Amino acid sequence: MKRRDPRSLASTFAGYFVLVFFALVFLYPFVIQVANSFKTEPDAAANALSPIPHPFTTSGYEKVFLNTDLPLWLGNSVLVTILVTAGRVLLCSMAGYALARIRFRGRKALFSAVIGVMAVPPVVLFVPKFLVLNQFGLYDSYTALILPLIVDAAGVFIMKQFFESVPVSVEEAARIDGAGVWRTFWSVVLPMARPALITLTIISFQGSWNEFAHTLVAVQSPELFTLPRGIADLVSGSLGKGTQYPLKLGAAVLATIPVAVIFVVFQRYFVRGANEGAEKG
Amino acid sequence: MADTAPARATRPGPRLSAAVRENIAGWLFVAPVVVILGLFMLLPILMAMWVSLTDWNGQGSPFRSGVPFVGTENYTRLFTEDGLARQDFMTSVRNNFYYVAIVVPAQTVLALGLALIVNARMLKGKTFFRAAFFFPSVTSSVAISVVFLFIFANSGAVTSLLKLFGIDGPQWFSDSRGVLHLLLGGLGLVDPADPPAALTDGGPFGLSWWEWLSGPSVAMCTIIMLVVWTTSGTFMLMFLAALQDIPVTLEEAGMLDGAGRWQRFRHITLPLLKPTLFLVLTLGLIATWQVFDQVYVMSQGNPAKTTLTPAFLSYQTAFRSFEYGSGTAISFVLFAIIVVLALVQRWIMRDRDPARRTRRS
Amino acid sequence: MKNRTVRTAALGAACAALLASAACGSGFDDDKAAAPAQQSSGPAELQILIGSSGDAETTAVKDAAAAWAQKSGSKATVTPAQDLAQQLGQAFAGDNPPDVFYVDASRFADYASVGALEPYADKLSGASDFYPSLRTTFTYDGKFYCAPKDFSTLALVINDDLWAKAGLGEGDVPTTWDQLKAVSEKLKAKGVTPLAIGDTRDRVGAFLVQAGGWITSPDGKQATADTPENLKALQYVQSLLKDKLAQFPSQLDAGWGGEAFGKGKAVMTIEGNWIKGALKADFPDVKYSVHELPAGPKGKGTLSFTNCWGISSKSKYKQQAIDFVEAMTTVDQQMAFAKAFGVMPSRQSAKDAYTKEFPADGPFVNGADYAQGPVNAPKMDSVLADFDTGIQKLTSSDPKALLERLQKNTQAALG
Repeated sequence: MKRRDPRSLASTFAGYFVLVFFALVFLYPFVIQVANSFKTEPDAAANALSPIPHPFTTSGYEKVFLNTDLPLWLGNSVLVTILVTAGRVLLCSMAGYALARIRFRGRKALFSAVIGVMAVPPVVLFVPKFLVLNQFGLYDSYTALILPLIVDAAGVFIMKQFFESVPVSVEEAARIDGAGVWRTFWSVVLPMARPALITLTIISFQGSWNEFAHTLVAVQSPELFTLPRGIADLVSGSLGKGTQYPLKLGAAVLATIPVAVIFVVFQRYFVRGANEGAEKG
Repeated sequence: MADTAPARATRPGPRLSAAVRENIAGWLFVAPVVVILGLFMLLPILMAMWVSLTDWNGQGSPFRSGVPFVGTENYTRLFTEDGLARQDFMTSVRNNFYYVAIVVPAQTVLALGLALIVNARMLKGKTFFRAAFFFPSVTSSVAISVVFLFIFANSGAVTSLLKLFGIDGPQWFSDSRGVLHLLLGGLGLVDPADPPAALTDGGPFGLSWWEWLSGPSVAMCTIIMLVVWTTSGTFMLMFLAALQDIPVTLEEAGMLDGAGRWQRFRHITLPLLKPTLFLVLTLGLIATWQVFDQVYVMSQGNPAKTTLTPAFLSYQTAFRSFEYGSGTAISFVLFAIIVVLALVQRWIMRDRDPARRTRRS
Repeated sequence: MKNRTVRTAALGAACAALLASAACGSGFDDDKAAAPAQQSSGPAELQILIGSSGDAETTAVKDAAAAWAQKSGSKATVTPAQDLAQQLGQAFAGDNPPDVFYVDASRFADYASVGALEPYADKLSGASDFYPSLRTTFTYDGKFYCAPKDFSTLALVINDDLWAKAGLGEGDVPTTWDQLKAVSEKLKAKGVTPLAIGDTRDRVGAFLVQAGGWITSPDGKQATADTPENLKALQYVQSLLKDKLAQFPSQLDAGWGGEAFGKGKAVMTIEGNWIKGALKADFPDVKYSVHELPAGPKGKGTLSFTNCWGISSKSKYKQQAIDFVEAMTTVDQQMAFAKAFGVMPSRQSAKDAYTKEFPADGPFVNGADYAQGPVNAPKMDSVLADFDTGIQKLTSSDPKALLERLQKNTQAALG
């Protein structure tokens, strides 16, 4: 198998060429993003392609922090992300466990309902969600920003699939020892679910950190803007603001960094998340 | 809620039977999920159904007695009444149709191609390349849109790159010309400045044939490129997972038979990938009909409404023109489009199911 | 079989839970629409939402509001909106609108027709001092609703350095359409873009006025889009665009005409008096002069733009809000705003003070005499947005078809 005839050498070379080419296509925009955020505005306009800022300046970032509400957006994003992620992990694993293991009446129907809910395209719920938030007097509040996102049908699905793969014997042993349903779940089953929990945490984190459309119908006060909403408004900005690309790209870099860090550290969980999310289809 | 409820459930109930206890525990465990999904998924749909039958203008509650009930007028206006509402809606459907028609095949082919190369056994650095291709799909759609706005600006990276090759690039975001129109003009078949009367004189749903045949505008093409670029990574992972499930022995058997690379791909790999292929196509189809974030950030439907999509139009109609009835009606029509297409896909998939089962067993 | 009953029961239970929770929500009360309790005296907490033209305006309004708050003992919070129309729309629907907010003249009829605005303007002292045309703009069903904040008109702005570099002098400033075309051809021959013009009816519309046309009849009841005058105007603009004598800002990599002009990408632009503040802030080195727009076949024509200080009909502090608007529309305060961000006072009694302070603004002020205000009718926003779409495609489309479409849509909207 390892023999290297010239033909396979050529095809290896071609393979690497294609890989490197596409790696450039997929990564160079990020290089451009970071590089231009450190450029001056004329430099960014004239040499957009160049990866080296000339001259190097952090004025884009200074402006982002001093002239915009970015610190506030950042704070809101962190708050929303933490609460949504924590909520999703807890609530989805509870529901997933119940659907997988507790034999209660109506669980089959409920599970079909969860699947049905997953099939509703989020965009369709856009105006409707606003109507409900508005009707309950929640519109334009942190509750509106967080509560509707705190449960995710796909998360329930992932957790159910996982709990079904845990051997029943473990729980039975705990039950025999006299542990109730909650004790069994909390101290026996949940600790075993670490890989699934990490996967769920990561996709929840990524999803809520990047969430944009929901904020558009949930809040309107600038004090409640999250990072994506703030950046979107910065970009579609009002008369006389100018292009200010280094500033906007700087803000975009800041929005990308947390996800990038998590991605590098927990890459395999991302991969798993992508594939498990797919199975719902 | 999470703390108190299960505690109650696990208390050794005096004389509750095990079955009843299980029922209570189960419902308490799922209660938060049921309530929130109900409140923010099911209830909104019911409310929106009501609103889509009214002429509510956004003042006060839509359930007040004074809100005018208009029946299905918000829906019929989109299809049968000659006016701005239908024109805008049909334009958005046209735009999104071209968008789907390009994005879905492009991202599927690219994802499959990348998966095949990354999966090739003789190459090293798989993990790195896999990560590189996947990374764009995990980042924020808003942040990425900002980057692409910059890259495709008139003095931006793409234009300077094209200049290196001596090409004078278009003014991406302000170019509303349809690609198909440009192509027809370029081939000398039709003069885009003066299209034949046969095409401009009539057509279905208030748009002329010439307008239906525009193809995506140049501006829409930037959004198409952005989306293909961001989503291919995710789909590549799905293909990759499926490829890794293919037993090596099968490939080797093919090699021994003297099958060429293309033949092996065509007759061994591709049939085994079919379920994943259909999955990717379905997911792609569903997602592409919902494009919103990128349109909001990059173009707001401009130039000349050529990046208007039903999702954005629904938002715009409800929140900018205060025609909430029309806006929700557009969402429901979009929902119907997606459901119908998903069913069609599913029907095609079901057709292939028996074959898959026999092979798997 | 048993399975099915269980499923039905469960679904029933779920729906019952939903309905119960929905009914418990406060939102279904009918009395929400009733008038809010008024706190007409004492300190108020006013929420003020403005559609700011930039930092200069935001700061100026914040300072003025703070001064009023200190004097009256109330609290006034000024928030600049990124997208005023959208934010207001969601706030009205959310039943929690700000107390005071800018209302754009083009959206005024929409808001007034749905009862979102308090018709207070006649209660102001010196209500008749506002320019009559501005009063008309903010009158709906015979009621003068809200006080005009200020106004602006369009004029021709010329980059003096580029002008001189092209060998042109003061005598070359165009005063007619023919001259505009001639001088643009000279500029183009020198390799510069002659004119940057915004791609909406808010700029191109000025040509309609110069040709003697407009989208609606003066009383706003009839559609007059497909007239020969309007056709002439669009054909003229089309010829400028086709020959690249004029370009849209997006073609020049700019967000609006002023930016393209400030960056030196065009020698001339057609913008309002807000361009002064923007140039001062972003492009302080650009030397420019302002001239009246070239006259068309039917004489001079320009467009005027204005906002009013809207007060929500749902505000708890209407009395204090009126007091606030009163303070914002005094001659002194209007002059302070004029100095800060380059708008023109809406009170006639401030005209002299303004022309004395800004002699170079003559062309803008003179425009008031022959300016056309925005279309004042509800439901016209999407019609006009559609017209803008047509303008964006003007180079490749038939102006006649464009106007026919506008005529049809306007007729449908006016009913």
